[in-house]
Order: sequence, then structure tokens, then C-alpha cells
Amino acid sequence: MIVLVGLSHRTSPLPVRESLAFSQDRLPEALRRMRQEGGVAEAMILSTCNRVELYGRGEDDEDGGRLEEFLCAFHGRPRDEIAPYVYRLTGADAVRHAFRVAASLESMVIGEPQILGQVKDAYQAAETAGTLGSALNALRNRSLAAAKRARTETGIGENAVSVSYVAVELARKIFGQLRDRNVLLVGAGKMSELAARHLVRSGARATVLGGRTFERAEALAAALGGRPAPFESLRAELAAADIVISGTGAPGIVVHREDVEHARAARGGRHQRPLFLIDIAVPRDIDPAARKVGGVFLYDLDDLKAVAEANLRERQKEASAAEGLVEREVREFLEWQKSLDVVPILVELRRRADQIRQSEMERARRRLGPLTPEQEAALEAATTAIVNKLLHSPTVLIKEIARNGYAAEQVALIRKLLGL
Amino acid sequence: MASHVYLLFTLAFYAVGALHVLLQALTRRKLLTSWTVTATLAGFALHTAALSQRWTEAGHFPAVGLHDVASFLAWAIVLVFLMTYTRTRVEALGLAVYPVAFALVLIANLTPASASDDPILRSYFLPIHATLAFLGYAALFVAFTMGVLYLIQERELKGRSPRAFYYIVPSLERCDTIGGRSVEVGFGFLTLAIVTGMLWSHRARGVYWTGDAKEWTAIIAWVLYVVLILARQRTGWGGRRAALLGIAGFAAVVLTFVWVTVASGVASAAR
Repeated sequence: MIVLVGLSHRTSPLPVRESLAFSQDRLPEALRRMRQEGGVAEAMILSTCNRVELYGRGEDDEDGGRLEEFLCAFHGRPRDEIAPYVYRLTGADAVRHAFRVAASLESMVIGEPQILGQVKDAYQAAETAGTLGSALNALRNRSLAAAKRARTETGIGENAVSVSYVAVELARKIFGQLRDRNVLLVGAGKMSELAARHLVRSGARATVLGGRTFERAEALAAALGGRPAPFESLRAELAAADIVISGTGAPGIVVHREDVEHARAARGGRHQRPLFLIDIAVPRDIDPAARKVGGVFLYDLDDLKAVAEANLRERQKEASAAEGLVEREVREFLEWQKSLDVVPILVELRRRADQIRQSEMERARRRLGPLTPEQEAALEAATTAIVNKLLHSPTVLIKEIARNGYAAEQVALIRKLLGL
Repeated sequence: MASHVYLLFTLAFYAVGALHVLLQALTRRKLLTSWTVTATLAGFALHTAALSQRWTEAGHFPAVGLHDVASFLAWAIVLVFLMTYTRTRVEALGLAVYPVAFALVLIANLTPASASDDPILRSYFLPIHATLAFLGYAALFVAFTMGVLYLIQERELKGRSPRAFYYIVPSLERCDTIGGRSVEVGFGFLTLAIVTGMLWSHRARGVYWTGDAKEWTAIIAWVLYVVLILARQRTGWGGRRAALLGIAGFAAVVLTFVWVTVASGVASAAR
């Protein structure tokens, strides 16, 4: 049975989550202690800035309480202070939660891609620490597979929701392929660098226009695998550019409408090719009037944010499709889990053995004729003893296997052996 | 089964496709699912059966009169769409193709088949000329749609606040490339259709050129497309202007087409 104790951005403020977070270097120790002190057979800890969750394989609902105690003890926090923020889930609810977290349905920004990697890392850490058994491993495989399906089969992961990715998405909407497109960076700021990196990764070529300090332009150009150019060559570079990212700290307009018109005119045969201007500077670098020039698409920081918000709304529409998909995967997993439950095997085994015993006694009675009550009792005792002795070691073994977690192959073998 | 029965089933399948694409567009999900494609293929197979049956019934190639023209044109459009889709996976094309195919088959279902038995229609020029012309029209329709999609996407991008089309329509570059390619293919077919039309006219009436209004319209459209293709190849002229000219060229084609179908009912040489 999967047991889960945790707190997330939905249930607790950041300071509380921070005080209960597990740092990377203390994780192995925490996992081992969680298994000992929490009394669980398997342990996994997912600790991100938005959630701290302890997953374990336990025997009953009591284990949740012990895990909560361990969480408080580990961080030296009094339990009654933490209790209001903590949720405790067991069995099917815990499984469902694990699936939903991996699929980013519980994330602050639905469909964000980081959580999948974080969940993967958390399982990996547990595996390295040796606290991952077959139950959590099965949960890992199925929940990660479901998360990937949700991403590929629904649109929850589509459409960029961060400003720098929105810039890349827009560039793709204009140019299709970004291979061999020329990106011109005006100013060597952090934001421009981030957007430019995404573009270069897609095959675009970068040119960095230097400001007062040419060294910074040179360094950034080297980092992007592009070339630097002096600021004076703005018009020439503008004519060759497909995408312009401007992010200088200048107080006024840096790229004027005339510069853009000049660049369009200088493009000759490529005149009708679009020009994508991204202005991420505050105050703005590019004259807003430049967007009136034909074939020019100008986006400032507010525009990019507006697109990101529209994209987020699109994602939320996709969320219900993803929820349905994840729910189906959860049910499938629970069914599968149920098929591994050994209790029905033991019950069925007992029932069959008793059935055989009864029918054999019946046959014996017919052959022996009327029996005295003493004889009847002796027959009863003898057959029951045979059944019990025969079933003893298989019962112990099956219980033993169940205690070690899911053993799909062994359970299947047992069913086969016993003809169940 | 009679051809009109096949045609009725065809209509049903195309209706499923059209409805599905429009509903998907409203929810902004993937426009074409395996369901749509299956319905389209089934509809197309029935459509082919309807045409072949109609050919037998009419005694000549079924491209004469509104009933046959609408049906055959829808068939050509669906064929060209399926080929374009297999190559490019552009789903937004379905937004125009499905409603148009549905409307054309609906028209075919509502109009009576013409019962002309002009001996000229038995000429082998009719199937060749008509097939070339209709495939050309279909390809030019695809070019027209890509042009419209280009203008829509450009508007979305200029407007800076994405609405439905931003998500559905492919990139400007892609609209431009596919539109340009479709123009080339459509232009090739159109040229061959004009040549075979002239040969047919010569065979039937001894003249290549009758100076008919629809011949003029066809030539004007042809010239527009020559200009468009040359401009693209020589100067790398693309984007907005190419989209607009592609739309104008198609308008000229539609004009010719409506003239031929409604005014005379029969291709020029067949009168």
C-alpha cells in the first residue's frame, strides 16, 4: 500500500515549505532514516520549491502518521505547527496524487515541464539510496509513462508560457524553421541572451551588436557561437537580420522607424520576407511606430506577456483532457495492483482445499458406512490436519513474497502452480 | 446501386468530416484525428464509385452540367487535399476543404444530372481535358486557401493578441511555401487543360480559339499565374503579395468556372 505525506503550494505558504525541504546532499540520509523511523519498507522523497512529499510503502493508515512525525523530527519542527499544512493520502488516493503530480496537473503552472524531471530525479535518488522497492518502482514506471502520454497526447505542454519561450514560439510562427535565420542582438543583457540561446539552439545564427563596452558583445557572441559587430553598423546588420532582440539599458529609442524602413528597403529581393522585432527593454528600445512598416512584426515585453497569458488559457482548456487520460491510467494501475494482491489467493486456496477435503470425506463415508461420532470426529481431525500441514509452507511463502512488495512474476507463477 | 445513392453516402461521410473539423477548431484541439481521416477516405472511395457509376449511366465522362461538375470538382479537391496533407500535415487546410467538399457534393445531390447526348462528349478529349482542368482548379484552390491562411496568420501576429487562428494556422513561411508549390502544380495542370481544350476545339470545330469570354477569363488567370510564378522565382518575391496574387488568380479561375458551368453548362468545344 502506497502511503503519502506532504505539503504543496496549494496547502502551505513558502516559508513553511522551505523549512521542511530536503536538500540534495541530505537526501540519501533522509531516505534511510525515513525508512527506519517511518517504519516503511520503501521510501522516496520529492522535494521541489512547490512541494515536499514523502512516498512510502506501508502496511496501514498508521504509517502516514509515523511519516509525518519523521518529517517534523528530521527538520526539528513541532508537529502541531506543521499539521495544518500537511495532507496524508493512502492507497488509491496516494497513487492518484503521484500520477497527477508527475503529469504536472498539480503544478502551479499546469503543463510545466520541470516537474517531470524533478520526479524522475527523486525516484533516481531513492534508487541510489537503496530505498526503492518494487512497489514504488512500479509507481515510478507507470506514473512517468502516463505523464509522458499526457504531454504528447494533449496540449497541456504546448504553447510557451514564459517570455523567452514565447519569443521563440512567435519566431516559429513567422519563419517556420529557424535554421540559418539571422538573429541580431542589440545590447547584451541577460534576457536577450536567454531568448537568443533558445533561437541558436534551433539553428539560428547570432550577431551581437556592441554598446559602449565592446568586450561584453564579444563575450556574448562567443558564448552564442556568433560574431560581434560595432553599434555603428546597426543599419547594415538590420538589413541582414530576420529576428532582432533589443534589450539595452538606454533611456530612449535605439532603433528608429527610419532604421527599420531603411533596412527593409536595403533587403532587395528579400524585401517581402518578414522581420521580427523583439523589444524586451524597459524603457523601450524600438520605436513603436516601426510596427506600421509592412512585413514587420514588433513585440514589446507587454505583448510577449499577453501572448504567454493567452497560451496559459489554452493550456487550461487542455487540462480536462489530460485529467481524463491520467485518471484512466490511474485506474489501470490500481487494477493491476489489485491483481497482485495475495489475500484473494490465500482465501481461494483455502476454499478449494476445504472443498476437496469435504468431498473426499463424503466418499469415505459412503464406502465405510455409518460411523460413530468418535470416528466421524477423528476423520474430520485427520483430514483438516493434512490440509493445514500441506498449506502451511505455501501460505507462509506467499505472505513473505507479499511483504517484499510487488512480485508480478512470482504471483503469476503461484496462481499457475495452484491452478487459480 | 445507382450513382446518386453512392453520392448520398459520400455526402454523409463528408458531413462527418466537415462537422468534426469545425468542432475541433472551436475547442482548438488537433483538427484532424484518425476518425476524420477514416471518414474522408471512406467518403472518397464512395465518391469514386459514384463517379464511375455515373460515367456508365451518362455514356460520357461525367464533367458536364452542374450536377457532374460539382461532384467531380469536390472529388478533385478531396484528392488534392489528401495528397497535400500526406506531404505537409497541414491540418488547417481542412477548415476550407471540408465545408467546400461538403457544399459541392450537396449541390450535386440537389441538382439533376444533365442528359446531354451530344456526340462530341464521347470524344476522348473530354476525360483528359476535364481531369487536367479539375485537378488544376483543386490545386489552385489549395493555393488560394494557403494565401488566405497566410493573411489571417499575419493579422494575428500583427495584432499581438493571439486568438483561435494563431494556434490553428501554420507559420507564415509554411503557408507561403505550400501556397507557392500549389500554384506551380495548379498552373501546370491549368496550362495542360488549356492546351487540350484548344486541341479539342480544333478537332471539333476546326479552330483553336473562338474568342469566347470564358476563354479570355482562362487566359487572364493563366497570365496572372505566370506573373506570380516568375516574380517568385526571379526576385524571391513572397509573403503577403504572393498570397494576395494567389487569391486574385483563383478568383479569376472561379469566374471562368462559374461562367462555364452556369452560363453554358458544357465545356466550350462541346457546344
